[in-house]
Amino acid sequence: MNIVLRLAWRNLWRHARRTWLTIGAMVFSNTLLVFMISIQFSMYGLMIDNTLQVFSGHMQVQAPGYKDDQKMRQVVPDVQPLAARLRDELDSETIAARGWAFGLASSADRSYGVGIYGVEPEFEANVSNIPGLIEDGRYLEQNDAMEIVIGTMLARNLRIGVGGELTILGSGVDGSFAAAVVNVVGIFESGVKEIDRNIAEMPLAAFQEVFYMNGAGHQVVIMAPTLSEAPGLKTKVEAIVPAGLVVHDWDALQPGLKQAIQADMSSAFFMYGILVILVAFSVLNTQLMSVLERTHEFGVVMALGMKPGRLGRLVMLETALMGLLGFMLGAIAGALFTYWFSVNGLSYPGMEEMAANFNLPGRVYPEVTLLKTAFGPFVVFLFTLLAAVYPAWRLRRLHPVEAMRAN
Amino acid sequence: MTAVRCVDICKTYRQGDQDIKALDHLNIEIETGEFVCLMSPSGGGKTTLLNAIGGLDIPDSGEVWVADKRIDQMSKGELADLRLANIGFVFQAYNLIPVLTAQENVEFVMQVQGVPAAERREKSLAILDEVGLKGLEDRRPAEMSGGQQQRVAVARAIVSRPELVLADEPTANLDSKTSDELMGLFKELNEHHNTTFIIATHDQRVMRYAKRLVRMLDGRIVDDIEQNAA
Amino acid sequence: MRMLLVLCRLAWRYLWRNHRRTIVMLGAIAVGAWAMIFMTALTRGMVDQMVADGISVIPGHVQVHNPDYLDDPSISNRIAMTDEELTQRFGDAGFKAWASRVRVPAVITSERESRGVTLLGIDPEAEREFSFVDYDDVDGRFLESPDDNGVVIGAKLANTLETEVGKRVVLMSQDPDNEIADRGFRVVGLFHANMETYEETYAFIGKRTAQKMLRIGDTTTEIVFLGDDYRNVEPIYEKVVAAVDDTVKVSRWNEVDTYLGTMLGMMDGFMLIWVIVIFLALSFGLVNTLVMAVFERIREIGLMLALGMKPAMILGQIIIESMMLLAVGLFIGDVLAFATVKPLEGGIDISVVAKGMEMFGASSVLYPKLYLDDVILANVVVLFLGFLASLSPAWRASRYEPVEAITKVG
Repeated sequence: MNIVLRLAWRNLWRHARRTWLTIGAMVFSNTLLVFMISIQFSMYGLMIDNTLQVFSGHMQVQAPGYKDDQKMRQVVPDVQPLAARLRDELDSETIAARGWAFGLASSADRSYGVGIYGVEPEFEANVSNIPGLIEDGRYLEQNDAMEIVIGTMLARNLRIGVGGELTILGSGVDGSFAAAVVNVVGIFESGVKEIDRNIAEMPLAAFQEVFYMNGAGHQVVIMAPTLSEAPGLKTKVEAIVPAGLVVHDWDALQPGLKQAIQADMSSAFFMYGILVILVAFSVLNTQLMSVLERTHEFGVVMALGMKPGRLGRLVMLETALMGLLGFMLGAIAGALFTYWFSVNGLSYPGMEEMAANFNLPGRVYPEVTLLKTAFGPFVVFLFTLLAAVYPAWRLRRLHPVEAMRAN
Repeated sequence: MTAVRCVDICKTYRQGDQDIKALDHLNIEIETGEFVCLMSPSGGGKTTLLNAIGGLDIPDSGEVWVADKRIDQMSKGELADLRLANIGFVFQAYNLIPVLTAQENVEFVMQVQGVPAAERREKSLAILDEVGLKGLEDRRPAEMSGGQQQRVAVARAIVSRPELVLADEPTANLDSKTSDELMGLFKELNEHHNTTFIIATHDQRVMRYAKRLVRMLDGRIVDDIEQNAA
Repeated sequence: MRMLLVLCRLAWRYLWRNHRRTIVMLGAIAVGAWAMIFMTALTRGMVDQMVADGISVIPGHVQVHNPDYLDDPSISNRIAMTDEELTQRFGDAGFKAWASRVRVPAVITSERESRGVTLLGIDPEAEREFSFVDYDDVDGRFLESPDDNGVVIGAKLANTLETEVGKRVVLMSQDPDNEIADRGFRVVGLFHANMETYEETYAFIGKRTAQKMLRIGDTTTEIVFLGDDYRNVEPIYEKVVAAVDDTVKVSRWNEVDTYLGTMLGMMDGFMLIWVIVIFLALSFGLVNTLVMAVFERIREIGLMLALGMKPAMILGQIIIESMMLLAVGLFIGDVLAFATVKPLEGGIDISVVAKGMEMFGASSVLYPKLYLDDVILANVVVLFLGFLASLSPAWRASRYEPVEAITKVG
């Protein structure tokens, strides 16, 4: 076995430049793949985490149909006790109740339609970033205070600041006229335009009073410790929640998110696929030539008694050695390249603008992990072996005498 | 006119860790129309001398004159032009461009020279006929025997009527009958067109055709005799 | 030059001398070329669609507003000119289309629900060319005149509000004195749009109806202009600037929707990078092939040099060989790309990721678009870079000394 290995290795270096060029193709592709895959998945992770942490959480308990219709009368009854019970039985603080209503908010100068959320001041910060993003003033404190926090854009549009008063007009859950005067105690900036422009938060108990909710709400928001633990947690929540309510996980709540990722992944994999195929062509070319030019030599060896099958294995071994070199060098180069960016961050012109749309920062720091580094080059290695199958197979049909007449 | 004149030329090669003197203060003069055979055992220097005369390999020192022009100091471009216009080569092997047909191979030099198509075609067909290859014009080298290939090479070498033809072991890969035919062709051309022939060889049969035999050993001329050719 | 023909013939024959290798290379180049062009067509189609959708919502290529409006889109930040004055200034300036409209935030209330919307008071005929609404694809009818008393809302909004054509809704907004301005309207039509969010956000009423309801007399909040090419709005921008004074602000579409403008630029950049990446991946194989081909031919190169060919011609021959290989491969790739894009131009349905596409600002049907410019760019880049890549092997080939070349063994 050892001598075959040595032979295969030496054969590779008979045409050093050719071998290096082929390995070069692998290293180039592998470096690109490692880099792009790392960035891609780092971004996806960020996108999901950032989006869910702002407001929607990992899952929510809702009335059936509420997710699509968002009608006020699709309530979760006794929402605060339910949230408390979930917190108790799951031993978690990252659970909060909410209610939602649409209303007209009027300042002295302006009126705007807003989505008003009733939240539990004590627990909302555990499921959402917003309480932590107060720019001016403070967040809500008392559950029954007639207070409100609004986004920066809304504040600007309403021409109001902390300390100002807003009149809220809307409909209660039973359709009756709802009105209240609330104090603006804080202004938040989430960075998400839709939220900063359209959302206001007030304490849940006060909300329930204003909109005649009778103790009901519309959501219980739940955050799991990590994204991967969410599905397990969902099962537990479903067991506790009374019949007649549903639990939605994040990809039902934010279908766009998962789909955006899927769409991006498809196009990325198309591109990766093309790169891999081009490398495979390179290998096919090289190995084909390598086999053809040795026809005479192979003929001699076969005349001396070696079986064509073994020759085929020799060629595959040569390819595998070359592929391994390409794998390792490429993975290392890719990892180093990516590592540089994981420290310094990647940013290109226009990225900030684009990224804001997806809750991403303007500068990405890709993560270097074993899986992300090895995956791309591994696929390239597989296709490299595949590409050598044809040249290796051709050897089976070689006849010693004919072969020796060649060249 | 003196076709070729070499004055005190030297050429040394390094092979492995030894210095080989291929040409050692060699002097020779060859008149136009001569039919000369250069002989030496392998490595004796005949190929090197031929290459020096043909402007393919400049000696380390000394003078080389071809057709009264001093060529050891010419630029690569000038040498190329000289080879194109004045010298025909027949090598031992790999004389032909494998992707071109016999006719195209013969026309190749003329094409590089810029000869118009009609004239090229006429001349190449005529010369192929002269060397006895009528009907094989469209064959590629791989489709011809060794002897036929050499004849195409000869045709190509002489089609533009060079003054000097240099042949390096032209019969090395041929059987005796074909060798004789080839040498007969050379003689004919030499007599009809007054082309100077310098042939390097160690084939006894070839030597019989030459009017002048030059023996070389270790880069020097040891013998230079006129004889009655066959 | 006649010499060129000789070199071309040699180049072509040498390509086919080792036909397996040439075929593999051609395959690689064709796949690479196909991928370049296919991806570009998909991206170009998506971007075109995105921009068209985006522009149809802005709408228009150039807009005019009160300088404070863009920060604070409220009724107090109107344009001070009346419709009559506007017609005087713009009427004969030769735009493809233009219109003045009222755009304010409002609340729409049905029997059951209320929602926030962007209310548009328009002159339907003037906006026909602009609008993202296909007037003929409306359930019920679209607005018929600026005095129309009805409201047209998106199908999704009607769903949310649990209302339908024929039913009444109330629209509520502010007048310039901060008083509530509201009015009842009958829903006369439901429109459909590429993107669901458009259906949820916009409500259309007649311009004069809006002006009366908001008590703004003959003024409007927004004037929009349409030119011929979204990539080149300078001509109409200048015309508009020339026709107004500095009581208003003139904006180009990419200033109003910076995301769209930025994205357009980025996509162009990505496509070029993609072409170069593919070429680089191919180039290893290309250089390898040429180097191998030259290596096999050393003796013949020596022969040609011995026969009097100039080194420059050897260089030329190798380069021509490389260019021919690329050209044929590119051609096959072009044909493949054409053959795969054309049938798909009717649209690729990706509604399975529709919501995701909306996040990007794209619709759920992809219309790949093959532009000659893109195809030419890809081909030219590959040929040019291929030329550069073949310089090294070609140069080395021409540097051979005839003697060593001829005597080189295996």
